Amino acid sequence: MTDPSSPAHADPAEAPDAPPASPASPASPATDDADAPDGMLVLGGPSGADDAPAGAPATAVPCAECGEGEYDADGYCGQCGARAADPRDHEEYAPSSWVAGVCDRGIRHESNEDALAVAADETGRSATIVVCDGVSTAARSALASASAAQAALEVLRSSTSRGVAVVPSAVAGALGARLDAAADAAAAAVAAVTREMDEHPDGEDDLYPSNPSCTFVAAVVDGDVALVGSVGDSRAYWLPDAGEPRRLTTDDSWAEEQVRLGAPREQAEAGPQAHTITRWLGVDAPDHTPAKVPLPLTSPGWLLVCSDGLWNYASEPATLADVVAQVAARPDGSDPLVLARGLVDWANAQGGRDNITVGLARIDVDAPERQVVPPRPDGGELPVDPSATTERIVPGTAPPGGRADAQPEREAPGESTHGRGDGPDGGDSTHA
Amino acid sequence: MPEFSAAVYQNEYLPDGGTDVHAIVTATCRGAGAAGSSGSGDAGEIIVVDTSGSMEAAGVQAARYAAAAALDQILDGVWFAIIAGNHQARLCYPDGSSAAMVRMDASTRATAKQSLARLYADGGTAMGTWLRAAAQLFDTVPSLAQRHVILLTDGENQHETPQQLTAAIESVRGRFQADCRGLGAAWQVDEVRRISDALLGTVDLIPRREDMAGEFESLMRTSMSRGIAEASLRVWAPQGAEVLFVRQVAPTLDDMTHRRVEVNPLTGSYPTGSWGDETRDFHVAVRLPAKAVGAEQLAARVQLAVRGEVVAQGLVKAKWSTDDSLTARISPEVAHYTGQTELATAIREGLAAKAVGDVTTATNRLGRAVQLATQTGDDAATGRLRRVVDIDDAGTGSVRLRRDVERLDEMALDTASTKTTRVRT
Repeated sequence: MTDPSSPAHADPAEAPDAPPASPASPASPATDDADAPDGMLVLGGPSGADDAPAGAPATAVPCAECGEGEYDADGYCGQCGARAADPRDHEEYAPSSWVAGVCDRGIRHESNEDALAVAADETGRSATIVVCDGVSTAARSALASASAAQAALEVLRSSTSRGVAVVPSAVAGALGARLDAAADAAAAAVAAVTREMDEHPDGEDDLYPSNPSCTFVAAVVDGDVALVGSVGDSRAYWLPDAGEPRRLTTDDSWAEEQVRLGAPREQAEAGPQAHTITRWLGVDAPDHTPAKVPLPLTSPGWLLVCSDGLWNYASEPATLADVVAQVAARPDGSDPLVLARGLVDWANAQGGRDNITVGLARIDVDAPERQVVPPRPDGGELPVDPSATTERIVPGTAPPGGRADAQPEREAPGESTHGRGDGPDGGDSTHA
Repeated sequence: MPEFSAAVYQNEYLPDGGTDVHAIVTATCRGAGAAGSSGSGDAGEIIVVDTSGSMEAAGVQAARYAAAAALDQILDGVWFAIIAGNHQARLCYPDGSSAAMVRMDASTRATAKQSLARLYADGGTAMGTWLRAAAQLFDTVPSLAQRHVILLTDGENQHETPQQLTAAIESVRGRFQADCRGLGAAWQVDEVRRISDALLGTVDLIPRREDMAGEFESLMRTSMSRGIAEASLRVWAPQGAEVLFVRQVAPTLDDMTHRRVEVNPLTGSYPTGSWGDETRDFHVAVRLPAKAVGAEQLAARVQLAVRGEVVAQGLVKAKWSTDDSLTARISPEVAHYTGQTELATAIREGLAAKAVGDVTTATNRLGRAVQLATQTGDDAATGRLRRVVDIDDAGTGSVRLRRDVERLDEMALDTASTKTTRVRT
């Protein structure tokens, strides 16, 4: 069946065109017909009436595509019909020279339900990357993911406690508590979206079977240690310049369970339920404590955080590392933002079947700024330059080789939607 | 307060290089109220009854009953008049000495019924003259916002040339709506359909005199339930696009394409006449310049406008994709109404061929009609076709023309060809 578009009502900006038809000229007098023997009046003679249409003015905001028209309330150009870009269709962040990220709608999805939040300082020692992927079968998931990612970032960047020691394990422990708090804040943000929906439902909410929900993955770099934590199937990878690339996170997904039970990963991740997640952030989530993995930063490489829109096309760490190496080998490819764009373009060229989010932190252990800084006597609060966090780069400037030029290949069957498992039973699975 | 809504049914995905976008836009009105009660102006009704010689005394008597039944349905306060039509147009009621209409009340209803006694069968038929007379009468009441005519004929338009009728139709187009009814088998469906098409009304067959009163009563009741005096469909298409056609496809087929009135260079307005509480489906087809795969755009903005104000709208979109699973699908609504439109065309072409003795074409076209009626689940059409052809195989459209066809059955098939069924879901 087709999708009925929701009924829309009048745009008040529309001007009336034709005036209501009005009788124009007065009637011509009836002519008596002497031949009518019954005495009935014989009618005759034409009389004119006309109505003329008038023009209708338009509203504001010029069209980025044709340059002539302006966008209507529905977001389409009144002249050429081009869709006004949703700012979330393509977002780029580069809070510092070594940390950047791109969040993109992809090709097949109509809206971007992924969200990215990034913060970093210029010293090369502190960074936070959060990716949330809205569950597409859940209501308001675009809003849920954005709220969750932003809430988590606020927690992670406002607290820089490293504990009381420079011992990496102790730092990781303190970071772990921060990650738990960030996940709590993210879950609370999703709950707030749900509350708002319950209090002020709109017509579209009923179309979705479940409450606002999203995944969560965060990577925190603090000195010589990184800690990643995840809920759901968004991932973090460590791709060292030399040595074995690693996937740091373990999916909370049906596919991962199949792998645990012995199924080949490739097969499990291609199955119809591959993207059914067993844990998520949301009011009906069984548990949202992130599964945490520490990473000592002892060698140069890329810390990559992404949604399934990227790893769908390169799940194995070695495969992903190859792709990253190829893209990074292009001109300026070692710039984190250029690399993130390149990876998004690459995923779109593979089909862009889902929203694509890539966050990158370049780890250069040789950089003097990256040397471990001893804890401060006051307990370790480090200065954070708020102006250096979450810088947005204006979208609209399409990345090279963007979606319009890409010729996506046909994809294997199976729309990549996030399911919720089978209700309550789907949520009790374990995580590593 | 009337409420309007619109919904769009389409497959918005186009293949690489694809240009044509088809959509069914369903518009619904609720709370229309009664004719003349919306505050936009008064309603006017004119009953035109054929009193040509062929009506004979018995036909005129039936017309009196029918007109009286219609009068009983006209609401108090509605302006009305009765015209007796033959080769002239004579004002039966009001019975004064100048062209006029009067407001309905208990007194005028009674005197109007009495005036029907003055009707008698005499003379010929000049429907163009009747139409001009109706327009003249409506013009005497400047407060009218809604003007409707019920026109009855029983024969051919013998006192006017087709050109004269065309000129008359053009002179009254847009000034009132007309539902036309033909009594018996001696009138020409195509001729009367020209009138009803131009005047945003219906054409139908009244087989027997005794059916007239019921039909008139029903027509007038429907007209009185139309509280929205005038609504128009507006279709915006982007620059460089071509609106291929705009058709009403339910409850009846009506190609509106040629009625476009420009609102602005990208927007056309198509009059749809008055509305009651009802749902109408429109098929809009737009040809766009192809865009790159992955591009999305608005293909058409379809709006319902009442007195210049937009009251509902639907958006028709286009998205280019290389995914065959998306682009190959045909919207079931579009498919259904495309079939119903072809069905009507096949019936009319088949009957026209049959009329000139082209048995081969008639058999092919009516066979195709049987096939389409079966495919679209239009059992009523199949039933009407069965009275004109013997069906050997409905699935393949294999039929034989019947030799003993009643002219009334053929006319019923013709007049009903524009009635559509809705999509079964």
